[in-house]
Amino acid sequence: MLQESTAERLIQHARARGADFAEIYVERWKKRNLRLLDLEVQEATSGIETGAGVRLFFGTQVVYAYTNDLSEANLLEVTDTLARLKGEAGQVDARGAGGLDFRGSAPAGLHGPQLPPDERDKRWRIERLAEADAAARVGPAIKKVQLYLIEWDQEIQVASSEGVWNTDRRVRTRYVVTAIAENEESMQTGFAGPGLSVGLELFDLEPPAVHGRAAGEQALTLLRAKPAPAGPMPVVIGNAFGGVIFHEALGHLLETTAVARKTSVLTDKLGEKIASEAVTYVDDGTLPHGWGSSEYDDEGAPTERTVLIEKGVLKSYMVDRWGSLMTGYRPTGSGRRQDYTFAPTSRMRNTFIETGDTPVEKLFENIEFGLYAKKMGGGQVRPGSGEYNFAVQEGYVIRNGRVEEPVKGAMLVGKGPESIQRIVAVAADRKNAPGMCGSLSGAVPVEVGQPHLLISEIVVGGEG
Amino acid sequence: MTLQEAKTYLLERARERGVELEALATGSRELSLQARERTLEEITAAERGGIGVRVVKDGKTGYAYSEELSPEALDWVLAEAIENAELQSETGGFLPEGRPLGKSDLLGEGLSAPVEEKKRMALELEEGVLRDPRVQQVGAAIYSEREFQTELTSTRGAEGGYRSGYAYQMVSAVMAEGESLKQGYELKVARELFALDPASTAQEFLHRTGRLLGARDLKSGRYTAYFEPSAFLALLSAFIDLWSAKQVLEGKSRLAGRLGQKIASEAFTLYDDPNHPEGLMNAPFDAEGTPTRKVYLVREGVLESFMHNSVTARKLNAESTGHAQRSYKGVLDVGPRNLIVAPGEGVTLQDGVLITDLMGVHAGANSISGDFSLQALGLKIEGGEAAYPVENFTLSGNFFELLERIVATGRELEWSVMFLAGASPTVEVAEVAFAGA
Repeated sequence: MLQESTAERLIQHARARGADFAEIYVERWKKRNLRLLDLEVQEATSGIETGAGVRLFFGTQVVYAYTNDLSEANLLEVTDTLARLKGEAGQVDARGAGGLDFRGSAPAGLHGPQLPPDERDKRWRIERLAEADAAARVGPAIKKVQLYLIEWDQEIQVASSEGVWNTDRRVRTRYVVTAIAENEESMQTGFAGPGLSVGLELFDLEPPAVHGRAAGEQALTLLRAKPAPAGPMPVVIGNAFGGVIFHEALGHLLETTAVARKTSVLTDKLGEKIASEAVTYVDDGTLPHGWGSSEYDDEGAPTERTVLIEKGVLKSYMVDRWGSLMTGYRPTGSGRRQDYTFAPTSRMRNTFIETGDTPVEKLFENIEFGLYAKKMGGGQVRPGSGEYNFAVQEGYVIRNGRVEEPVKGAMLVGKGPESIQRIVAVAADRKNAPGMCGSLSGAVPVEVGQPHLLISEIVVGGEG
Repeated sequence: MTLQEAKTYLLERARERGVELEALATGSRELSLQARERTLEEITAAERGGIGVRVVKDGKTGYAYSEELSPEALDWVLAEAIENAELQSETGGFLPEGRPLGKSDLLGEGLSAPVEEKKRMALELEEGVLRDPRVQQVGAAIYSEREFQTELTSTRGAEGGYRSGYAYQMVSAVMAEGESLKQGYELKVARELFALDPASTAQEFLHRTGRLLGARDLKSGRYTAYFEPSAFLALLSAFIDLWSAKQVLEGKSRLAGRLGQKIASEAFTLYDDPNHPEGLMNAPFDAEGTPTRKVYLVREGVLESFMHNSVTARKLNAESTGHAQRSYKGVLDVGPRNLIVAPGEGVTLQDGVLITDLMGVHAGANSISGDFSLQALGLKIEGGEAAYPVENFTLSGNFFELLERIVATGRELEWSVMFLAGASPTVEVAEVAFAGA
């Protein structure tokens, strides 16, 4: 990718033009997508994406440029353009003259693939996906099965005027099964989409037969679901993707992007009790082979396990370089970006509520009437207040401590900072699930997660 | 390698391997300057480019692309595209017969100006909006410009390129008067940056958003709807796929089988003009080298054509209309360039609702059934005058019925790129259902 001498010249060039901090990020991706409908190939594409991003700080003001002409002459010109655009700060500075002492380290391969993408041909992939197709057809009502396979192999390199010189390789693989069921009354879809920072061994770690069947069964369940009840009630939220609510309605409020501008209601609350004691909330970029894991972040800082909330008390925010400059908090290896076309900002990695000690059955025991939100769907959040509404993908009525008939159309409505105080019990079955999180610096892979947990009251919007 | 050299390299390798190949390369440049609190808060300068191939081997089609233009990367692209083609079960794929398409420059010196001038565009835009005390908060005041170089080549003889681009100004802000708060935006796009004037864009924003302050609820009922140009284009954007031959083939367009029939009022004429003197998305040829031309989709209410690329045309026994679309990363599709609702005899406001803004256009419209239910903002029109602003209402109905109830179109075209690139006059539609308080 980039020569050390080129990076050094670039950084010195930027410093000489008045930048307080200069960073260059280079990456190269190989991407492959495969989409099958009823095992017919609908789409098969492959691509190489590559480019560099130059980011300069003038105080806390940031300018950014990207290009995919990686020649030294062009990179120097891009840096010049940026400094010129910044204008008034463009005086020559003696700091540009000194040598840079890059402290580099190679990645240890903590999340590396066992079965790299190139070791199997495309027919092999179709055969493995066919196992999911077969398993998804759990009944005659399943009319169509769509399979989508995504493979990413990303190499990055970051160098900065603070001597950072790091490289990382991130291989990620994910497949998504969508089963479509239809009867006289309606059409419903069920899905399952495992993904990890691994190669093609994903098909062994997350067997297609298991996830295919789960998607098929979910579609059938929804076909017989009745309209959901409405009103305030106790809600048990399922594990794994159930964590999406707190990702959106709590996690985003703890990123310095929101905290530094004081647009988050959780600004300046370190050390305060903001959640129920049952809650420990963690953002862990080091989780082995996690969908959102990496050895270094996109600013070249080592990732870490950051405890955000410990037994209800706010312990840390998620801090990138700019956020650290603005707030004084220690960086947490949270600077992330979709690709070279975005400057990094503070982002989540694998964020979850830690496992508790209540047996799952106990959560339901004392509920006279409530909702079991087994699988969550999508939703929206206002970042300032944490107000959210989320659709329940697969839900059931709880009556007298028992999980009864399936319901559809349920929406959970509330405020993140309020709901987190109402978590009364957390089970011991934490699981994570992969997703894509969209924000200022683009869409990045993240895991959300939690054990089953009981919230004493959430407003359920439904049809009934 | 340059994009030009990469094109030639791929063509030669494809000939050696005996496959048909089409290479589409795009290089783009972007500059974005955002003012906030009277300084330039965000500056982005960008260049991006890549090359994408479509290969046909034994009647099967495959795609791959690269942003890296080394021989290794391009060899990989070709190998992957062939492998992707071999996975297909559908045969009958082909590349269209090509021809020399020449070089053209549609942009010229349109974006040439000192950078100081461009910074001034962003700063003065913010300043112009802040001058009004009703403005509470400016979300963004941006000057931005984009420039594209598109190159096409194929083993069937297509060869050519063109340069295009545009500049825009965008402001979004919150205005308040008493209890009433309105967030609005204004976007002005032009092929020459000197056609943009920050002071008048700011003025336009203040007028368009300011007139909605103090809005009242609208009483439910049926009213004549006067769609402002950008609101009509927003509505049209949710349904434009009805004219896509690809959608026709997939059984997703209710216009299928209705060519030559009356599908709208005689007051409605819709065409695509990729070579319009004011067009923002002009192109001399489409993504597979078919020369573009003015194509009537609807003329005086009669369905005249669908939008075709060579593949949909062959399948539907038609001719390509030059509507092939593809980015270097993507696969072949169909779409318009500059969609134009023809101006007419003019609209005279009498009684009804002037629709200034439509929200949630894609979520609230079903392009298959034609049903829509959209949140809107507007002005109540009484006795030919704007009586008061209205809010908290939706207009609903069916797009196919709406087309038949178009009464008249205005005399003047207004251009937009917000939902789709194109132009429309004000459009008057009789008897639209409004649900409000």
